[in-house]
Amino acid sequence: MRITVTGASGLLGSSVARALVSAGHTVTTLQRRPSGVAGAADVLGSVTDAQKVEEAVTGAEAVVHLAAKVSMMGDPKDFEAVNIGGTRTLVDAARAAGVPRLVHISSPSVAHTGDSIIGDGAGPASPEFASGEYARTKGAGERIALGADSADFRVLVLRPHLMWGPGDTQLTERVIDRARAGRMPVLGSGAALVDTLFVDNAVEAIVAAVSAVDTTHGESLVVTNGQPRPIGELMSRIAIAGGAAEPKLRIPVAPALAAGSLVEKVWELGEHDDEPPLTRFLAEQLSTAHWFDQRRTQEVLGWTPRVSVEEGLEKLAQHYRP
Amino acid sequence: MKYPARPATTPPQLPEWDPAWSRIVEAPTSDGTHAFHVLDTLPALRAAGVEPAGTILALHGNPTWSYLWRRLARATVDAARSGGRAWRLIAPDQLEMGFSERLDHSEMPTPKSAQLRRISDRITDFDAVVTTLLAEVADSAAPNGGSSDHPIVTIGHDWGGVLSLGWAARNTDLVSAAISLNTAVHQPEDSPVPAPLRATLAGPMLPTATVLTDWFLRVTLSLGDLDAETRAAFAAPYANAEDRWAIGNFVADIPVDGNHPSDPELQRIGKDIAAFDKPALLVWGPKDPVFLERYLRDLRQRLPQADVHRFETASHLVSEDHDVAGLVLDWLGAQFDTASAAKNSVSASGPGSTAEADSAPGTDPAPIRAVTAILDSRRDDEAIASVDFAQNPAQQITWRHLWHVTTSIAGGLLDLGVKPGDRVSMLVAPGNNLTAALYACLKIGAVAVVADAGLGPKGMTRAVTSADPQWIIGELPGLALARAFGWPGRRISVTPLGPVRSRLFKTETSLTALSKTPHRAELPTPAPHDDAAILFTSGSTGPAKGVRYTHADISALAAVLTRAFDVREGTGLVAGFPPFALLGPAIGATSVTPDMSVTKPKTLTASAIADAIIAGRATMVFASPAAYTNVAATASALDDEQKAACARVELVLSAGAPVPLELMDAIAEVFPNASIHSPYGMTEGLLLTDIDRSGVAEADATGGLGVCVGSPIDGVELALAPIDATGDSAEELLEGDAARNRLGEFVVSAAHIKSGYDNLWRTTADSARDDLHGLTWHRTNDIGHIDEAGRVWLEGRLQHVVTTPRGPVGPGGLEALIDTDAEVSRSAVVGIGPDGTQALVAVLDAEGTALAPGLAPLELTARLREQVLDVSGQDLTAVLVAPEFPTDIRHNSKIDRSRLAAWADSVLAGGPVRGRV
Repeated sequence: MRITVTGASGLLGSSVARALVSAGHTVTTLQRRPSGVAGAADVLGSVTDAQKVEEAVTGAEAVVHLAAKVSMMGDPKDFEAVNIGGTRTLVDAARAAGVPRLVHISSPSVAHTGDSIIGDGAGPASPEFASGEYARTKGAGERIALGADSADFRVLVLRPHLMWGPGDTQLTERVIDRARAGRMPVLGSGAALVDTLFVDNAVEAIVAAVSAVDTTHGESLVVTNGQPRPIGELMSRIAIAGGAAEPKLRIPVAPALAAGSLVEKVWELGEHDDEPPLTRFLAEQLSTAHWFDQRRTQEVLGWTPRVSVEEGLEKLAQHYRP
Repeated sequence: MKYPARPATTPPQLPEWDPAWSRIVEAPTSDGTHAFHVLDTLPALRAAGVEPAGTILALHGNPTWSYLWRRLARATVDAARSGGRAWRLIAPDQLEMGFSERLDHSEMPTPKSAQLRRISDRITDFDAVVTTLLAEVADSAAPNGGSSDHPIVTIGHDWGGVLSLGWAARNTDLVSAAISLNTAVHQPEDSPVPAPLRATLAGPMLPTATVLTDWFLRVTLSLGDLDAETRAAFAAPYANAEDRWAIGNFVADIPVDGNHPSDPELQRIGKDIAAFDKPALLVWGPKDPVFLERYLRDLRQRLPQADVHRFETASHLVSEDHDVAGLVLDWLGAQFDTASAAKNSVSASGPGSTAEADSAPGTDPAPIRAVTAILDSRRDDEAIASVDFAQNPAQQITWRHLWHVTTSIAGGLLDLGVKPGDRVSMLVAPGNNLTAALYACLKIGAVAVVADAGLGPKGMTRAVTSADPQWIIGELPGLALARAFGWPGRRISVTPLGPVRSRLFKTETSLTALSKTPHRAELPTPAPHDDAAILFTSGSTGPAKGVRYTHADISALAAVLTRAFDVREGTGLVAGFPPFALLGPAIGATSVTPDMSVTKPKTLTASAIADAIIAGRATMVFASPAAYTNVAATASALDDEQKAACARVELVLSAGAPVPLELMDAIAEVFPNASIHSPYGMTEGLLLTDIDRSGVAEADATGGLGVCVGSPIDGVELALAPIDATGDSAEELLEGDAARNRLGEFVVSAAHIKSGYDNLWRTTADSARDDLHGLTWHRTNDIGHIDEAGRVWLEGRLQHVVTTPRGPVGPGGLEALIDTDAEVSRSAVVGIGPDGTQALVAVLDAEGTALAPGLAPLELTARLREQVLDVSGQDLTAVLVAPEFPTDIRHNSKIDRSRLAAWADSVLAGGPVRGRV
């Protein structure tokens, strides 16, 4: 199959492109910097550039749309331009080019209204209630993608949750760096349950979606390892896998909510490069439960996570072993 | 004051209410044609393309309206849509109630007012409305004795209960069955009207309490667990004083005494109901402050054929608190549909189970021997029948003596007025007195009610009240409790009390006095299917349930002891475990009650058990694991004679809980020549499987998940109802290879299992719903698996199954595994989150460990997670340490999982660790 991947310079995007190449597909990538994916044809440019987008999607049989602006601070216009405008440009170009399939990568934050998530499914995107520009614009982008879904243009949305693993600079490296410096705190009891997603599983879920979209479309699916863990335990395990000592610094939730801590920075940003800011919203997220019902996701994708959390931690330890 | 007339209307949008159910029906009544608002599901059924195949006529009471039946409406329409019998529900709002027409009134309602709508008028109203509506469907229009394939059934609540029962009793050509929720037919002359009503009825208060204010309305709506929206919906038609005239009317029409204008009609209704002989169901919320237990008792006397289902935690608005609609549909199904449902109805409400189970393969085909047959046959035997070390000095009685005493007491009880079938609450500790009282009752067919003192005063009160005994035989402190908590039953003490105490405790006589009664020429003989005893469960999973045993069941139980453990005539057995302490005379064994407190098994010492062995020349010992633990701990105090006596013991039986191998080994040191057995059972089936010491050792070596309780004993059929992804056990039963190595609920069949639950129609029907091989089965609620060798492994209770996306998990198996870790004292495995996608969480007790509350240490968590994955393939989400472990009062070992799960749920959502568990 001829497949176009946008945002293939990040860890997830490049890994997906690489996996598709090795599965025998013909892969074109679209991003501003070279993807570095052997065997893929790079189109260099932004998803906001209609001409480049048209060039990248023409002749494709499927598009996997990962490109996004991720940072939680910055000019709202920049977010809108990439996450809303870029998605609209891509959707329009793909439909015009007769591309039959779109796998759109979104985020669980688009449906998050601030309450605990305890074994819930993927709710509808609700940018009206979103906290922060990232969630708001990703929510609007998801609506555009799903709104374009039809029998001829089948759209499936995946929302990977809290991705980590070797090579992940956002969550994994930050936790390890801070822990090595002895400044990795645990918020409250650290018992709030969170779902996460090991990077290899994220890649395989997206590859699976390229096939699954033929039978199921017009739907959003949260993707996780299906192994919720207490946030404190998982952060400690990641730190230890990276060669740091077990974090012993505990801080109560209230001061963290006052946005004085740095730990929040590691939230949510699995697939992208930008620096996340410090927000109260993030502290809330790290001290409340966020885990999901994965039955529908696994059924639709015909996929199960191959690497367990424990095996993932072992891979991480190997990666960081001197 | 003038109250204007107003036409009938339809209700506004209300929660759980479908506007399609609302109809306005004109019907000719005693004072002309009036308009009624009626809940009628006929249009909804026809819209779904179904024609009614039965009709339920429902009548509400005061001050509710047909909204009371909305859930029954929904349930019947849903059942019809999914292919069940299509029941049409017709539920009028009584005239001037709900959204029915209001008449004009020029005065306040008072008992003598000419404007009052009397109960006789209201039966006529009901008749007029339902006759009009039944005529719309050809099958229900033409009555043919209630035997048509279009049954007509009434149901009522409060005043609607009496009125609908009265109408049913007067229309038996039409009606096939009748159901009532809390109601009262009759105000017994010797007891006053209940207090809450008395205030309202006090003449001048009546209009203020019922019409001018909404006081009566609000008080009634507080008698159920209603949310604000539902309460508002019930109150919707009664917003203003002019809407509420009839609320006062109903109260004014309560016949408080024989001079009330409606009293003669109520008496007639009561008589008519007593002549109604069709199937009936009484549904009761015992916490009702107005419709008290005595009204249920009165109804049951009038309708002795009635099935009863009590919802112990419910009050007046019982259908708001519990699934009455589901109960009604199940009961109707049992009356009118399918052969298996009809069979359930029989086994749920009466005899039949033992007769069927007796033909089970492997059981003794010998005819049932009466429980008292051996006692009777040894009436001249001077050998020792029973030794009681609870008496000081120890008291021993011969078979001859026991026969004479029980025969005298039996005659004395009859003289006193005890009738066969009467229930006698036994508030007597095990020993000779209890044996005498029990066998006297068994002789004449009086039913012994036994509730363990371990239930505590509240639990015992609930248990004894629900069994509703006519008599109490008690000693202190039982009599004091009976007095303090107002337990029902005329009272008989064990030994004579002085005049002061017998007045205080209202005792009429004593066992001692009764035992001097001259023998009667003949005593009434109970039939095998007559009730013999009501034994209460422990109540660790909800209110204690009364378990019904017939004479045949008890005989079968005695036979099992003979067959499986070789307890036979002449055997001497030390009985330190209550249920078995009572069976000695039925088997012909010499039973010895050791010196111990029944409710505190840990008070049994090695010396006490040895003295009991010596006195009874016993070769068998029955006790609980807690008792054996103390026996082993005190064994060093045994002298040589006592040691020799213990060495003569051939069989040690430990019942009540599984026995770990270490305890078995300790028991073996005290009783070096005995084989040590630990049978598994429950109140509903006391002996189901058995395992001995070597069996426990072999099972331990397999590393199986859970607690192994051995293989079914001879005569017990074992099947498994597999548990699905949602945690429910399947309807279909598996046996043999198909039942191996999968999680399921154990389902058993044997001649000695219960015949039913007392006054719990639906619970009985549910537990006995299987009919594999034509046998009567019992769903144990215990879950686990059966291994390759056919051994039973317990893994918890059905309601504690955790349903993860990887499948259902029995918590007990994983707990047994986790508890073996050196860092852990005890654990509870719970599920949090939605069913089917729950997270599996282990909660550890901080007490007795070095663990601090909160997340368990990383290494311990990793170790337990790996073990759980290895044995079960499940993902252990988290390991938490709880600051305390809530357990139920009765068994310190039974953990309150629902509280621990709620705590874990909160902690894992980011809540505080240090809060109360």
